[in-house]
Amino acid sequence: MVKNKIAQMKIQQMAFMLIAVMIFFALVGLLILTIGFSGLKEKATNLQEENAMLLVSKLANSPEFSCGQAFESKENCIDLDKTFVLKKNIDKYKNFWGVSGIEIIKIYPENKNLVCTNANYPDCDTLELIPKATGISAENFVSLCRKEYNSETSIVYDKCELGKILVKYEKIQ
Amino acid sequence: MINKKNKFGQEEMVGFALIIILVSIILLVFLAFSLNKSKTESTESYEVNSFLQSTLQYTTACQTSSGIRKFESIQDLVFECDIKEKCSNNEDTCKVLNKTLTDILKESWPIGEDRPNKGYELIINTKNELTLNIREGNLTNDCKSSSQSFYKSKSKKEFSINFEVCS
Repeated sequence: MVKNKIAQMKIQQMAFMLIAVMIFFALVGLLILTIGFSGLKEKATNLQEENAMLLVSKLANSPEFSCGQAFESKENCIDLDKTFVLKKNIDKYKNFWGVSGIEIIKIYPENKNLVCTNANYPDCDTLELIPKATGISAENFVSLCRKEYNSETSIVYDKCELGKILVKYEKIQ
Repeated sequence: MINKKNKFGQEEMVGFALIIILVSIILLVFLAFSLNKSKTESTESYEVNSFLQSTLQYTTACQTSSGIRKFESIQDLVFECDIKEKCSNNEDTCKVLNKTLTDILKESWPIGEDRPNKGYELIINTKNELTLNIREGNLTNDCKSSSQSFYKSKSKKEFSINFEVCS
Protein backbone atom coordinates (compact mmCIF):
# COMPACT_ATOMS: atom_id res chain seq x y z
CA MET A 1 0.00 0.00 0.00
CA VAL A 2 2.80 2.42 1.03
CA LYS A 3 4.86 1.30 -1.99
CA ASN A 4 1.91 2.05 -4.34
CA LYS A 5 1.59 5.54 -2.85
CA ILE A 6 5.32 6.20 -3.36
CA ALA A 7 5.03 5.00 -7.00
CA GLN A 8 2.01 7.26 -7.59
CA MET A 9 3.94 10.18 -6.12
CA LYS A 10 6.91 9.38 -8.42
CA ILE A 11 4.61 9.26 -11.49
CA GLN A 12 2.99 12.55 -10.47
CA GLN A 13 6.43 14.11 -9.96
CA MET A 14 7.55 12.95 -13.40
CA ALA A 15 4.36 14.27 -14.99
CA PHE A 16 4.91 17.69 -13.42
CA MET A 17 8.52 17.64 -14.51
CA LEU A 18 7.53 16.75 -18.11
CA ILE A 19 4.93 19.55 -18.17
CA ALA A 20 7.52 22.03 -16.84
CA VAL A 21 10.07 20.95 -19.45
CA MET A 22 7.43 21.15 -22.23
CA ILE A 23 6.40 24.67 -21.18
CA PHE A 24 10.05 25.72 -21.05
CA PHE A 25 10.79 24.43 -24.56
CA ALA A 26 7.53 25.90 -25.88
CA LEU A 27 8.61 29.32 -24.58
CA VAL A 28 12.06 28.92 -26.15
CA GLY A 29 10.41 27.90 -29.43
CA LEU A 30 8.11 30.91 -29.32
CA LEU A 31 11.07 33.23 -28.76
CA ILE A 32 12.96 31.76 -31.72
CA LEU A 33 9.85 31.96 -33.92
CA THR A 34 9.30 35.61 -32.97
CA ILE A 35 12.88 36.49 -33.90
CA GLY A 36 12.55 34.55 -37.17
CA PHE A 37 9.25 36.14 -38.17
CA SER A 38 10.41 39.67 -37.40
CA GLY A 39 13.20 39.17 -39.97
CA LEU A 40 10.68 37.76 -42.44
CA LYS A 41 8.53 40.88 -42.24
CA GLU A 42 11.57 43.05 -42.93
CA LYS A 43 12.49 40.83 -45.89
CA ALA A 44 8.95 41.10 -47.29
CA THR A 45 9.06 44.92 -47.04
CA ASN A 46 12.46 44.99 -48.77
CA LEU A 47 11.19 42.70 -51.53
CA GLN A 48 8.13 44.89 -52.08
CA GLU A 49 10.35 47.97 -52.26
CA GLU A 50 12.69 46.20 -54.68
CA ASN A 51 9.79 45.16 -56.93
CA ALA A 52 8.61 48.78 -57.15
CA MET A 53 12.18 49.88 -57.93
CA LEU A 54 12.43 47.21 -60.63
CA LEU A 55 9.27 48.54 -62.26
CA VAL A 56 10.80 52.03 -62.32
CA SER A 57 14.12 50.73 -63.66
CA LYS A 58 12.35 48.65 -66.31
CA LEU A 59 10.67 51.83 -67.47
CA ALA A 60 13.89 53.89 -67.39
CA ASN A 61 15.70 51.25 -69.46
CA SER A 62 12.91 50.93 -72.07
CA PRO A 63 13.81 52.17 -75.61
CA GLU A 64 11.52 55.22 -75.29
CA PHE A 65 13.60 56.57 -72.38
CA SER A 66 17.04 54.94 -72.35
CA CYS A 67 20.24 56.57 -73.61
CA GLY A 68 21.07 53.64 -75.89
CA GLN A 69 24.12 54.15 -78.12
CA ALA A 70 23.81 57.95 -78.16
CA PHE A 71 25.70 58.32 -74.86
CA GLU A 72 28.56 56.49 -73.18
CA SER A 73 26.32 55.86 -70.19
CA LYS A 74 24.56 52.54 -70.11
CA GLU A 75 22.17 51.46 -67.35
CA ASN A 76 19.73 53.72 -65.48
CA CYS A 77 20.34 56.47 -68.03
CA ILE A 78 17.52 58.55 -69.51
CA ASP A 79 17.96 60.47 -72.77
CA LEU A 80 16.31 63.73 -71.69
CA ASP A 81 16.09 65.18 -75.24
CA LYS A 82 14.31 62.05 -76.48
CA THR A 83 11.99 62.05 -73.47
CA PHE A 84 11.13 65.71 -73.99
CA VAL A 85 10.09 64.95 -77.58
CA LEU A 86 8.11 61.94 -76.30
CA LYS A 87 6.12 64.30 -74.07
CA LYS A 88 4.59 65.88 -77.18
CA ASN A 89 3.24 62.48 -78.28
CA ILE A 90 2.41 61.13 -74.83
CA ASP A 91 -1.30 60.66 -75.67
CA LYS A 92 -0.35 57.73 -77.91
CA TYR A 93 1.55 56.09 -75.02
CA LYS A 94 -0.85 56.66 -72.12
CA ASN A 95 -1.75 52.98 -71.59
CA PHE A 96 1.49 51.59 -73.02
CA TRP A 97 3.43 51.13 -69.76
CA GLY A 98 0.47 50.31 -67.52
CA VAL A 99 1.26 53.14 -65.10
CA SER A 100 -0.87 56.12 -64.16
CA GLY A 101 1.86 58.74 -63.85
CA ILE A 102 5.48 59.39 -64.90
CA GLU A 103 7.61 62.32 -63.81
CA ILE A 104 11.33 62.97 -64.23
CA ILE A 105 12.89 65.24 -61.62
CA LYS A 106 16.36 66.77 -61.71
CA ILE A 107 18.09 66.54 -58.30
CA TYR A 108 21.56 67.92 -58.92
CA PRO A 109 22.57 70.60 -59.93
CA GLU A 110 20.12 72.62 -57.80
CA ASN A 111 16.40 72.18 -58.25
CA LYS A 112 14.30 75.33 -58.67
CA ASN A 113 11.06 73.34 -59.20
CA LEU A 114 10.64 74.67 -62.74
CA VAL A 115 8.35 72.51 -64.88
CA CYS A 116 9.82 71.89 -68.35
CA THR A 117 8.12 73.60 -71.28
CA ASN A 118 9.17 74.42 -74.84
CA ALA A 119 10.15 77.87 -73.62
CA ASN A 120 12.54 76.90 -70.81
CA TYR A 121 13.98 73.47 -71.81
CA PRO A 122 16.69 72.41 -70.81
CA ASP A 123 16.91 74.98 -67.98
CA CYS A 124 14.15 73.30 -66.00
CA ASP A 125 13.84 70.65 -63.29
CA THR A 126 10.64 68.62 -63.65
CA LEU A 127 9.47 66.87 -66.80
CA GLU A 128 5.85 65.82 -66.32
CA LEU A 129 5.20 63.08 -68.86
CA ILE A 130 1.92 61.80 -67.43
CA PRO A 131 1.14 64.38 -64.73
CA LYS A 132 -1.14 64.67 -61.71
CA ALA A 133 -1.88 60.98 -61.25
CA THR A 134 -3.05 59.15 -58.14
CA GLY A 135 -1.90 55.77 -56.80
CA ILE A 136 1.15 54.18 -55.22
CA SER A 137 4.36 55.95 -56.15
CA ALA A 138 7.84 54.50 -56.64
CA GLU A 139 10.99 56.37 -57.51
CA ASN A 140 14.56 55.58 -58.36
CA PHE A 141 17.77 57.42 -59.15
CA VAL A 142 18.66 57.85 -62.81
CA SER A 143 21.22 59.65 -64.87
CA LEU A 144 19.63 62.38 -67.06
CA CYS A 145 21.76 62.82 -70.18
CA ARG A 146 21.44 65.28 -73.04
CA LYS A 147 23.58 66.93 -75.73
CA GLU A 148 24.93 70.34 -74.65
CA TYR A 149 26.61 72.97 -76.79
CA ASN A 150 29.68 74.59 -75.30
CA SER A 151 29.93 78.10 -76.73
CA GLU A 152 33.55 78.56 -75.52
CA THR A 153 34.97 75.53 -77.32
CA SER A 154 32.19 75.30 -79.95
CA ILE A 155 31.73 71.61 -79.33
CA VAL A 156 28.69 69.52 -78.52
CA TYR A 157 29.30 67.22 -75.57
CA ASP A 158 27.35 64.71 -73.46
CA LYS A 159 26.04 66.25 -70.26
CA CYS A 160 24.65 63.90 -67.61
CA GLU A 161 22.94 65.16 -64.47
CA LEU A 162 21.51 63.35 -61.48
CA GLY A 163 17.76 62.87 -61.27
CA LYS A 164 14.91 60.66 -60.22
CA ILE A 165 12.18 58.97 -62.20
CA LEU A 166 8.89 58.89 -60.31
CA VAL A 167 6.23 56.41 -61.37
CA LYS A 168 2.67 56.16 -60.07
CA TYR A 169 0.76 52.91 -60.46
CA GLU A 170 -2.35 51.16 -59.14
CA LYS A 171 -0.61 47.87 -58.31
CA ILE A 172 2.66 46.11 -59.19
CA GLN A 173 2.21 44.20 -62.45
CA MET B 1 14.29 7.07 5.74
CA ILE B 2 12.92 10.65 5.55
CA ASN B 3 16.48 12.00 5.20
CA LYS B 4 17.16 9.65 2.28
CA LYS B 5 13.93 10.78 0.52
CA ASN B 6 14.88 14.44 1.05
CA LYS B 7 18.34 13.79 -0.41
CA PHE B 8 16.79 12.19 -3.52
CA GLY B 9 14.47 15.17 -3.94
CA GLN B 10 17.35 17.62 -3.54
CA GLU B 11 19.45 15.76 -6.14
CA GLU B 12 16.58 15.86 -8.65
CA MET B 13 16.07 19.59 -8.06
CA VAL B 14 19.79 20.25 -8.58
CA GLY B 15 19.65 18.20 -11.82
CA PHE B 16 16.64 20.17 -13.06
CA ALA B 17 18.28 23.48 -12.18
CA LEU B 18 21.45 22.39 -14.03
CA ILE B 19 19.44 21.56 -17.16
CA ILE B 20 17.66 24.94 -17.02
CA ILE B 21 20.99 26.78 -16.58
CA LEU B 22 22.57 24.86 -19.48
CA VAL B 23 19.67 25.54 -21.84
CA SER B 24 19.57 29.23 -20.77
CA ILE B 25 23.29 29.60 -21.52
CA ILE B 26 22.82 28.05 -24.99
CA LEU B 27 19.86 30.35 -25.60
CA LEU B 28 21.81 33.43 -24.47
CA VAL B 29 24.74 32.55 -26.73
CA PHE B 30 22.32 32.09 -29.66
CA LEU B 31 20.59 35.41 -28.91
CA ALA B 32 23.86 37.32 -28.53
CA PHE B 33 25.10 35.85 -31.82
CA SER B 34 21.94 36.76 -33.77
CA LEU B 35 21.73 40.30 -32.29
CA ASN B 36 25.40 40.93 -33.00
CA LYS B 37 24.91 39.80 -36.59
CA SER B 38 22.06 42.24 -37.22
CA LYS B 39 24.12 45.11 -35.80
CA THR B 40 27.02 44.81 -38.21
CA GLU B 41 25.08 43.85 -41.34
CA SER B 42 23.65 46.52 -43.59
CA THR B 43 21.21 45.44 -46.28
CA GLU B 44 22.15 45.67 -49.94
CA SER B 45 19.80 48.21 -51.49
CA TYR B 46 18.65 48.51 -55.10
CA GLU B 47 18.00 52.24 -54.62
CA VAL B 48 21.52 52.91 -53.30
CA ASN B 49 22.95 50.84 -56.15
CA SER B 50 21.06 52.95 -58.72
CA PHE B 51 22.26 56.11 -56.96
CA LEU B 52 25.91 54.99 -57.22
CA GLN B 53 25.50 54.05 -60.87
CA SER B 54 23.90 57.41 -61.76
CA THR B 55 26.41 59.39 -59.68
CA LEU B 56 29.39 57.80 -61.45
CA GLN B 57 27.90 58.98 -64.77
CA TYR B 58 27.42 62.60 -63.58
CA THR B 59 29.24 65.17 -65.76
CA THR B 60 31.38 67.52 -63.68
CA ALA B 61 32.57 71.01 -64.59
CA CYS B 62 36.16 69.78 -64.98
CA GLN B 63 37.93 69.47 -68.33
CA THR B 64 41.35 67.82 -68.33
CA SER B 65 44.09 67.50 -70.94
CA SER B 66 43.23 63.82 -71.42
CA GLY B 67 39.62 64.68 -72.22
CA ILE B 68 39.87 67.89 -74.26
CA ARG B 69 36.62 67.44 -76.12
CA LYS B 70 34.52 66.59 -73.09
CA PHE B 71 33.89 67.34 -69.46
CA GLU B 72 34.90 64.56 -67.10
CA SER B 73 32.39 62.29 -65.41
CA ILE B 74 32.74 61.45 -61.71
CA GLN B 75 34.13 58.03 -62.66
CA ASP B 76 36.80 59.58 -64.92
CA LEU B 77 37.57 62.21 -62.29
CA VAL B 78 38.45 59.44 -59.80
CA PHE B 79 41.18 58.23 -62.19
CA GLU B 80 42.37 61.80 -62.83
CA CYS B 81 42.49 62.48 -59.10
CA ASP B 82 44.58 59.34 -58.61
CA ILE B 83 47.26 60.60 -61.03
CA LYS B 84 47.05 64.14 -59.50
CA GLU B 85 45.85 65.68 -62.76
CA LYS B 86 44.52 69.28 -62.86
CA CYS B 87 41.43 70.67 -64.60
CA SER B 88 41.87 73.11 -67.51
CA ASN B 89 41.06 76.01 -65.16
CA ASN B 90 43.96 74.82 -62.91
CA GLU B 91 41.64 73.48 -60.22
CA ASP B 92 42.70 70.30 -58.43
CA THR B 93 40.71 67.28 -59.70
CA CYS B 94 40.54 65.78 -56.20
CA LYS B 95 39.02 69.01 -54.83
CA VAL B 96 36.44 69.12 -57.64
CA LEU B 97 35.61 65.44 -57.01
CA ASN B 98 35.21 66.02 -53.27
CA LYS B 99 33.06 69.14 -53.69
CA THR B 100 30.82 67.65 -56.39
CA LEU B 101 30.21 64.45 -54.44
CA THR B 102 29.56 66.34 -51.19
CA ASP B 103 26.96 68.53 -52.95
CA ILE B 104 25.33 65.54 -54.69
CA LEU B 105 25.03 63.67 -51.38
CA LYS B 106 23.55 66.74 -49.64
CA GLU B 107 20.87 67.11 -52.33
CA SER B 108 20.09 63.41 -52.76
CA TRP B 109 20.11 62.16 -49.14
CA PRO B 110 19.19 65.10 -46.89
CA ILE B 111 19.88 64.17 -43.27
CA GLY B 112 18.59 65.45 -39.96
CA GLU B 113 16.74 64.53 -36.78
CA ASP B 114 13.31 65.11 -38.41
CA ARG B 115 14.27 63.36 -41.65
CA PRO B 116 14.21 59.64 -42.50
CA ASN B 117 17.98 59.59 -43.08
CA LYS B 118 20.25 60.12 -40.09
CA GLY B 119 23.64 59.74 -41.72
CA TYR B 120 25.75 58.40 -44.58
CA GLU B 121 29.27 57.47 -45.58
CA LEU B 122 30.84 57.30 -49.02
CA ILE B 123 34.23 55.68 -49.55
CA ILE B 124 36.25 55.50 -52.76
CA ASN B 125 39.37 53.37 -52.55
CA THR B 126 41.73 51.01 -54.29
CA LYS B 127 43.02 47.81 -52.70
CA ASN B 128 45.87 49.70 -51.03
CA GLU B 129 44.82 53.32 -50.58
CA LEU B 130 41.88 55.51 -49.72
CA THR B 131 41.01 58.10 -52.38
CA LEU B 132 38.01 59.78 -50.77
CA ASN B 133 35.89 59.50 -47.65
CA ILE B 134 32.78 61.61 -47.05
CA ARG B 135 30.90 61.04 -43.81
CA GLU B 136 27.95 63.02 -42.50
CA GLY B 137 25.59 62.55 -39.53
CA ASN B 138 25.20 59.39 -37.43
CA LEU B 139 25.70 55.89 -38.78
CA THR B 140 23.02 53.92 -36.93
CA ASN B 141 22.35 50.16 -36.94
CA ASP B 142 19.63 50.45 -39.60
CA CYS B 143 21.63 51.03 -42.79
CA LYS B 144 21.35 50.20 -46.46
CA SER B 145 24.40 50.08 -48.66
CA SER B 146 25.85 49.20 -52.01
CA SER B 147 29.25 49.04 -53.64
CA GLN B 148 30.58 49.04 -57.17
CA SER B 149 33.94 48.44 -58.78
CA PHE B 150 35.33 50.16 -61.83
CA TYR B 151 38.69 50.27 -63.57
CA LYS B 152 40.48 51.94 -66.46
CA SER B 153 42.49 49.66 -68.70
CA LYS B 154 45.22 52.34 -69.05
CA SER B 155 46.01 52.66 -65.35
CA LYS B 156 45.17 49.00 -64.57
CA LYS B 157 43.97 50.13 -61.18
CA GLU B 158 40.65 48.91 -59.84
CA PHE B 159 38.65 51.34 -57.72
CA SER B 160 35.69 50.54 -55.58
CA ILE B 161 33.00 52.93 -54.41
CA ASN B 162 30.96 52.05 -51.34
CA PHE B 163 27.98 54.03 -50.06
CA GLU B 164 26.04 53.44 -46.87
CA VAL B 165 23.01 55.44 -45.74
CA CYS B 166 21.42 54.98 -42.31
CA SER B 167 17.92 55.80 -41.07
